[in-house]
Amino acid sequence: MTDQFPVLIIIIPLLFAVITPLLGWWRENLCYPWVILSLTLCMLCSIFVLGRVIDTGVVIHYYLGSWAPPWGIELVIDHLNALMLVIISTTGLIVAIYSKNNVKQEIDGSIVYFYTLFLLQVTGFLGIVITGDMFNLYVFLEITSLAGYALIAAGEDGAPFASFRYIIMGTVGACFYLLGVGYLYIVTGSLNIADLARLLPDLYGSKVILVAFAFFFVGIAIKMALFPLHAWLPDAYTKAPSAASALIAPLMTKVAVYVMLRIMFTVFKPSLSIDILPVTDIMIWLGIAAIVAGAVMALAQTDFKRMCCYIVVAEIGYMVGGTGIANSVAIKGVILHILNDAIMTLGMFVVAGIVYYQTKGHNLTDFRNLFKKMPYTMAAFVVTALSIIGVPPTCGFFSKWYLIQGAIIAHCWAFVAALLLSSLINIILFFRIFEIGYGFHETHGHGHGHETVLISEAPMSMLIPTIITAIGIMLIGIYNQPILNNIIQFAVPKL
Amino acid sequence: MKVVNLLVVIITGMVLAYGTMDMPDWGDPNSPANRHVSPGYISDAVEKTATPNIVTAVLADYRGYDTLGETAVIFSAGMACILLLRRKRKK
Amino acid sequence: MLDFIIGKYNYWIYIVLMMIGFYAMIGKKNLVKKIIGMNIFQTSIILFYVSTAYKKGGATLPIIEHAHGHGEHASHAIEASSYINPLPHVLMLTAIVVMVATLGVALAIVLKIYRRYNTLEEDEILKAIK
Repeated sequence: MTDQFPVLIIIIPLLFAVITPLLGWWRENLCYPWVILSLTLCMLCSIFVLGRVIDTGVVIHYYLGSWAPPWGIELVIDHLNALMLVIISTTGLIVAIYSKNNVKQEIDGSIVYFYTLFLLQVTGFLGIVITGDMFNLYVFLEITSLAGYALIAAGEDGAPFASFRYIIMGTVGACFYLLGVGYLYIVTGSLNIADLARLLPDLYGSKVILVAFAFFFVGIAIKMALFPLHAWLPDAYTKAPSAASALIAPLMTKVAVYVMLRIMFTVFKPSLSIDILPVTDIMIWLGIAAIVAGAVMALAQTDFKRMCCYIVVAEIGYMVGGTGIANSVAIKGVILHILNDAIMTLGMFVVAGIVYYQTKGHNLTDFRNLFKKMPYTMAAFVVTALSIIGVPPTCGFFSKWYLIQGAIIAHCWAFVAALLLSSLINIILFFRIFEIGYGFHETHGHGHGHETVLISEAPMSMLIPTIITAIGIMLIGIYNQPILNNIIQFAVPKL
Repeated sequence: MKVVNLLVVIITGMVLAYGTMDMPDWGDPNSPANRHVSPGYISDAVEKTATPNIVTAVLADYRGYDTLGETAVIFSAGMACILLLRRKRKK
Repeated sequence: MLDFIIGKYNYWIYIVLMMIGFYAMIGKKNLVKKIIGMNIFQTSIILFYVSTAYKKGGATLPIIEHAHGHGEHASHAIEASSYINPLPHVLMLTAIVVMVATLGVALAIVLKIYRRYNTLEEDEILKAIK
């Protein structure tokens, strides 16, 4: 039975997603426990698989239908994969627990379909990460994207138009990826990642391979919201419903970073990106541009969720720049940052959702006096903010530390400067919110000082996931050495 | 703005065409794609899957997982249309 | 030079078609025209793949005739060069389904936008949002 766990990770959410509409038409209240049950089972399977990969150190190959690759499709789980699986299923579970009141408030009447698309999107993310076949990755990328478009379009007033712009840009990205797969297929005849890794090094001089790599990179850059192709991200994530943005924002861009790491270091050997094409140099400059642009645009925002979106753009800059530096310390930092950024972004958007639930808005001014009224939520927010700034012992400090170390070893002083500048700007951003939250700007001249909406602490089903996220940020920071030594060290490719 | 769009499109097209210079000719029976994985499909399909139609054999048997994903795509699109277009009845 | 063009003209036709679709997607302001461009782009990628499956020299469809049951003894050995490559066809069946699904969701979103703003031009919608 335990041999089948790799495929169970995909089948459980998919099967439960198909049964959710039937269950929902019978009793609508059963959807929520059903989703939580599905994601709990999925999380347990993925933790078990991670445990087995850590214990045996052997890459798990699972042949679907018992057909040997490259004629059949295989699932490949190594250390990087297993870590991503745990991240995705745990984030899905936390957001599912958190989503109960949110969904009822924002999407009343179509809760069943929302939860179905929720489970389908988690299935899509898991399928992208676990597969060992290039075309299969495209199919699951499209499952994820379609569920994402619909979840985002179900939001507040400008959401359908934001989702439409996301459709256009996302489809261009996916089609470029498909073109890349096609070009590789035409010259090698295979679609399996391990098989391509074996066949490609003989063909590195060929123009087809270079063009295929370029199209992969641009396609994934669109999905990853790398500056300057990030235009879809702020509108889409701001106007989406709170539970949808809490699910999509931490995961979509990080899964795209994972796909980029796979293509650059497993399908193509690292020597292609470093020596033959000047890709890594371009990536460092794009990373620096993304960090600076994201930080500056975040300063200009008055809407809290929009500010978080630009912080996400800057964080992607960290990861792309770190991959561009391409020594093993920096890649360790990148993989650790995938884990950290997922949980930090989750924390940010979860807090934004709670504020929206209580105050019906997500502007910075809606944070006024919240530190007194919602102490626990704001405590979690402070922990997340410190982590984004990069204060020890939260997890954000350690990934920044490895990235800076890697940049110093490679003499990339511009990247170090960009990282430090970004930390500085994050301090300004968050201390501004702390000021508003403590009510330092309150002027006593206003007669209508009483809010018409009674704001109290968040309900338990929303508060507990927030506190779990904050505790997770601290724990990952404190235990980062074991995580690095047991998992991430083996996930770094040999450069 | 139209000029920028046209420029992007032309550059993309030229990069794609540049890539086709090293590709095998159209219809070449000895191209890498025709020599590596597909002869295995053609020669073994009837024996191993009892299906004379090789495309069906590959789609439903060898690469059945892709077909499962494709079904999930259709289901997801259906649910998306219901979620977006449902009109709430005014109570 | 001439046989260079004759050898690869199928790729270039489809690249031109792809670029027409791509220009419509990013260049036009009407939402439905963008969706039509998306459809053209994806269809031409599908045609591009399928065109690589052809084999010159009398190859026929990948359906094996006179095959009974488990095919204990085929009357003649099945030669790979007499059947065209089945794998691009398989991949493109899935891609066609994905294309139709994306088209459906995109049209549903455009319908929702139309119900709200009563127009399908991007500039007017952006003005209405501000």
